[in-house]
Order: sequence, then C-alpha cells, then structure tokens
Amino acid sequence: MRGAVLKDILRAGLAALGAFLFYSLLGRVGPSVLFLFNAFAIVVVTFSVGRDEIFGAALGAICGLVQDSFSLGVFGVAGLTKTLLGFWTGFISRRMDVSSFSRQTVFLFVMSGLELAAWVLLSTVVLGGRVNIRHGLLILQPAVTALLGSAILTINRRSRARRS
Amino acid sequence: MPFWEKRANFFVLIALVMVHLILISVQVPRHSDKKVMERIVFFVFSPVQKAAVSAFGGLESLWNNYFDLRKVRKENQRLKRDLFFLNQDKWFLEDRLMFFRSEAQLRESLSRFRESLVVARVIGTDAGNYYRSVILDKGSLDGVSRDQAVCDRFGNLVGRTIEPVSFTEAVVQLITDAESGVSVISATDRVVGVLSGASAGLCVLKYVTATKGGRLGEDLFTTGFDKIYPAGIRVGQILSVKATSSIFKEILVQPYFSFAALEAVAVLPKAGGGKS
Repeated sequence: MRGAVLKDILRAGLAALGAFLFYSLLGRVGPSVLFLFNAFAIVVVTFSVGRDEIFGAALGAICGLVQDSFSLGVFGVAGLTKTLLGFWTGFISRRMDVSSFSRQTVFLFVMSGLELAAWVLLSTVVLGGRVNIRHGLLILQPAVTALLGSAILTINRRSRARRS
Repeated sequence: MPFWEKRANFFVLIALVMVHLILISVQVPRHSDKKVMERIVFFVFSPVQKAAVSAFGGLESLWNNYFDLRKVRKENQRLKRDLFFLNQDKWFLEDRLMFFRSEAQLRESLSRFRESLVVARVIGTDAGNYYRSVILDKGSLDGVSRDQAVCDRFGNLVGRTIEPVSFTEAVVQLITDAESGVSVISATDRVVGVLSGASAGLCVLKYVTATKGGRLGEDLFTTGFDKIYPAGIRVGQILSVKATSSIFKEILVQPYFSFAALEAVAVLPKAGGGKS
C-alpha cells in the first residue's frame, strides 16, 4: 500500500518535471507558442484520465504552483484551477466512457476549456481585468490541449495493448 | 463504510482548494514581497530550467554551426564592410566625446562601466503572460540583485530585476508589464511621464497633461528620477497621441526592445540617483 503511494508520488513528481521541461523548451522555441501549448494542462489531463481523481488533483496542484512561480501573476491561481481540472477530469473519466479518440478529445476540450475560463475569471478578479489573450491565441489552447492529450492517451493505450 | 471514508476523495479536494484559497487571499493586497513557498518552488525549478535550456541550446548551436560555416565567407565580407563604417562612426563619436571630456576621464568611466555590467541569457518567459517577465541565467552569485536595470544588446531598456533572485537565476519585470513604471522624458518636447505596459507588447505614457507636448515618432529616454533606471537609456518611440476627456493625454509607446530577439541582455549596475 505504502509502496503504491510512494510510486504515485514519484510519478506525479516526474510528470510535473516533464511538464516543466516541456514548458522551458517551448519558451525557447517561441514565446507565443506558450499561449497555444499549456504543457502543464496537457500533463494534468493525460495523467488524470490514466489514473484517478486524487492523483489528478495532486498533480494539478504541483503543476499549477510551478506554473505560478514562473509567472508574475498571483501565486496559487493556476494551482487552484489545475487542482480542479485534475480532480474532475479523473472523477468524470472513471464514470463515463471516454475511451474512443473522438469522445476523449471532446471531453478533454470541455475540461480544459472550463479550466481556462476559470483561470481567466480568477486572474481578472485578482488582477483587475488585465488578462492578455494575445489576439485570441489563448482561446485555441483548450483545443490543442485536447488534441495532444487524446493523442498521447491513444498512443499509450495502443502500445500497452500491443505489449500485452 | 463510514461517511468520511466514502467521501475521502472529496475531502482531499476540499483541503487542496482551501490551501490554494488561503495562498491567494494572503497575497491581497498585492505588491507584497514574494511568498516563501513561491521562492522555494522558484529556487528548486529554476536550475532545472537552466540545465534544460542549456542542453537544448547546445544542440541548437551544433546544428546552426554546421550551416553557419557554409555562409561564413559571405558573412565575413559583409562584416568587414560593416566594420569599416562602424570604425568611422566610432572615430566621429569619440571625437565628439573628447569635446566634452578628457581622454583619461572617458577611458576610466568606460572601463568602470564595462566591469560592472553582467551579460546574461534569457532562459525562460512568463508562464502566464509573456509580456510580463523573463528569467535570466545569472543570479546573486554573479552579482545580480533586485532593482537593476536590464538592457538588450542594442542598449534599449528591457526592464528591471525583481524578486525572486536565486543564486544562479533572476526574474526580470519587463517594461511591457502593466505593473511596471519607468520615469521617461521625450527627446524633443522634454515631456516627462511614467511609462507602463499596455496590452500586446506596447506601453502607455501616463500622467502627461493635455497642455504638454509629445508628438508622433518622438524618442523616449529614461530620466533616472525613479532611482532604478540610469538616466539616458533608450526606451521607445511614441506611436499615437490622443486627447481624452480627462486632463491627461493617452500616449501609446512602441518599446525599442524586440521580444522575439531577446536572447542576450545586459544587467546594468544599480542607478546611483536621479538626473540633476
């Protein structure tokens, strides 16, 4: 039991580190790419569907706080929204059939869209209406998160099936 | 099964949400110093970012060097031509400077300034809004501390260092951040105002009354009044001037530094004081 918990913590830590490395390299490719790809959201939704809601919430909290510490925004806003994203993605995916690529994409699109909306709303309330959506580029973020998340999950599922 | 075991997952969620809400609420009102937890996360992750970006940069330069070698002859000829013209410019400028100062004074001040400059590389951008801040690969061990002006490789103002400054990394608040403030003066009309960030990488010149000047295309320089940015640094150019119903004009400014070309920057020594 303890071994499984430690394994989960290790996995969450490695996933957060992976998201952070991905974010660092994306920033190097081009800063505007960061508006399209939210590496932290992709990792949170991917692991939440694969694991459960508690794992998703914990990973969401870690990834969100790391994102917050590399931003001049209020520390904790992304942490809160990503915690909710991880929890509800894990919770709903275990009670609904989201195994096909199309269903999964729609599901992840809705979840990451809600997370983005919550982040914009919270940031607007705390910062006083100064969220830059970069000519609408930010609105495309949920679609990119959903497509990449579904692709990763599908590849993962197929590789597992082939191995077994 | 007891109630709390049945709903354990929701209790965990509520606990996590409460922790975040407390974190957010202790930061209101804002502008307070960075929280300990934020500093810890930054200290832990910034070396990882530096290592990743360096590794990626190494691969990138290896790839680029191969292609650069193929263009190097052409580039060399162009550089020789540029060098000739730059030398001409340098001699002209030196001549003009000599007019104001003796050579010994000039050389001494130049060498002092060069020694105190810290050249840094941009290794990261703001995770929430990239017009707000960048992360440098130089920190307190390299002599960087908070409130030092940062310029790009052409000498244009980029921003200032803010907390957190770790041992080997530092955060720079850009002049395009809405919460930044730089005291500037226009080159022709000598209009003094405070420059802040506006949306989409532009800046806005605040507190310029409707009766004062400020014309299109006019250059803006730092005044040094804020005691953070040394006087005379190029900041930007006036993009538009609009009269409003208030007593202040609405002046939009295009900063000179280009975000896309922001790779190497110089951290300037701390400003001593305002311009007399």
